[in-house]
Amino acid sequence: MPEAPATETDAKPRLAAAGLRWHPGLGQATLSGPLLRLAADCDRAFGILAGVFGAEEELHPAAVSAELLNRLDYFSSFPHQATFPASLDGDEDNLAAFAADPFGETGVRLTRLAPVRAVLTPAACYHIYAAREGEELAAPTYVTTVATCFRREASVEPLVRQWAFRMREVVCAGTAAEVRQFLDRARELADLLCRELSLPVDWEPATDSFFRPLTNPKFLLQKVAPTKEEAVFGGRVAIASVNLHHDHIGSAFRISRAGEAAHTGCLAFGLERWLYALSSSYGEDPADWPSVADAASCAVAAWNRT
Amino acid sequence: MLSEREARDALRSWVASKAKPEASGRIDDATPLFADRYLTSVHVPELLLLLERLRGAPIDPERLGPGDFHDINTIVRRFCTPAPGRLPGG
Repeated sequence: MPEAPATETDAKPRLAAAGLRWHPGLGQATLSGPLLRLAADCDRAFGILAGVFGAEEELHPAAVSAELLNRLDYFSSFPHQATFPASLDGDEDNLAAFAADPFGETGVRLTRLAPVRAVLTPAACYHIYAAREGEELAAPTYVTTVATCFRREASVEPLVRQWAFRMREVVCAGTAAEVRQFLDRARELADLLCRELSLPVDWEPATDSFFRPLTNPKFLLQKVAPTKEEAVFGGRVAIASVNLHHDHIGSAFRISRAGEAAHTGCLAFGLERWLYALSSSYGEDPADWPSVADAASCAVAAWNRT
Repeated sequence: MLSEREARDALRSWVASKAKPEASGRIDDATPLFADRYLTSVHVPELLLLLERLRGAPIDPERLGPGDFHDINTIVRRFCTPAPGRLPGG
């Protein structure tokens, strides 16, 4: 990651006073002051939308079991994005060799590693499915969670494409019909929120960033039968998405609903990207920023009237 | 290239062989094959190979688009009718 070139945009200089500190070597951002408060406001807004479904809040750890992600073919589909929490083999000689010469020009000089059994989670929702492994769902299940997610990227851009970023998700597990209804409603609510905030977005079918996509059946299927739709701000930055997994995850984790493998789907928001979109639309002066939570309440009220 | 009728028959047989036995009787030419999960992603490469064989020409995966594999009618219309200019990869 340190080698990844940063794409300079106007976000960094114009938002420095509002609380954006960019770490170019790491492709990550620190938020403070008004910008951090705006991020919290956005997350409250997403929580208000999640409340429409009665989604239960969960908080999960940063690392997710590698075995679980392997079951979902994550490593064959996205090896270029995986970030592993590695630790040294605890053998004393190995630790001593490391401690004697731990760092050089190219970074940490690792000695022998302990087996790697975890991944820094690349999406907020994986833990939610794993936590329900083997369950028979008596009713559609709605859960929401927020997590710092890690995806190694070939290039990075403050607030737009980062190695580490925060993602809020609302997940539904149920029958195919229940999940489709959830995704339809979730998309409507997210769109209403964008309208309340006058954020210009276009909903577009999208594919995930597969490794060697044209040889990956999952990518080809996403092309011919789209399962992902993104709200694209300014023609290039996806700030929200709705995602249908069919029964892929339900089958992998033996989660069932109505006697069959559960279907799952999620609504996802990239928090930093919302900061980008809002500050691009309203300017760098925090005094001009809207209340996103108030807008979410208005969006829900409008949705209830339809 | 096989005739449209021959291609359609070959597709019906192939789909029936891939769908779960209890489901194959419910599939007609307008049944959504992937949206209704009669077929899944693991079947896509084999379907591409089958179509290339039926039409006697390669298919460029980059030119595949939403709906191309929706149902047997669509697949036949998109890939197995004599309109080369409209065929992905054709």
